[in-house]
Amino acid sequence: MQQQMTGQSQSQQPMFTTPPQVITGKDLNYLADQMNWLLVAAKKCSHYAKECTDPQIKQIIDQTGQMHQRHYNTLLTHCQNNNSSATASLPAQ
Amino acid sequence: MQNTKIGNPKTPAAQSSGTTMSDMDRITDILSTEKYLTDGFNIAVREASHDSLHQAIMTCLTETHQCARDIYNVMFQQGMYTLEVAQQPKLDQTYQQFNGYLSQIPYSGRVQ
Repeated sequence: MQQQMTGQSQSQQPMFTTPPQVITGKDLNYLADQMNWLLVAAKKCSHYAKECTDPQIKQIIDQTGQMHQRHYNTLLTHCQNNNSSATASLPAQ
Repeated sequence: MQNTKIGNPKTPAAQSSGTTMSDMDRITDILSTEKYLTDGFNIAVREASHDSLHQAIMTCLTETHQCARDIYNVMFQQGMYTLEVAQQPKLDQTYQQFNGYLSQIPYSGRVQ
């Protein structure tokens, strides 16, 4: 895990150029929220698609549900972040 | 006099079906859900701490917007939406008004 640091600050500490790959408490709250919405949305699409009679409507609702499932998995991957190793190399504040 | 209403005839799916849920009710509910999700992603993407998380949520946001658009187009095809055309004089008047304001913007006349 490469830390993006450069130069020297006045306190002899490396400076961040971009925020490091840590999931903050705030990030985690938002991630959990979004995954909850996506879970319900995916279930709803699956349920409605089964009930629909019009093939065009059935298909687009089904596609939508699959997209929600994909997004759920994407966000879940971001929860697999190793915060311990990401913070180990950071200078103590 | 111009035709002011634009829309397809309603397909059977677009007919209301009394007290039970119709296909139109279902797709309307799904579209509402997509709108709700874009609001949520929009707030979350603004608050993301690091770049890879920001990009991931940004992808969710744009794909969900596109999905909502596709749903809307299907609904329009099936006659669930009717568009009302603006009156030409009102359109012209609004153009004139805001074209006049253009000179107030300091960047006017400088094409990038």
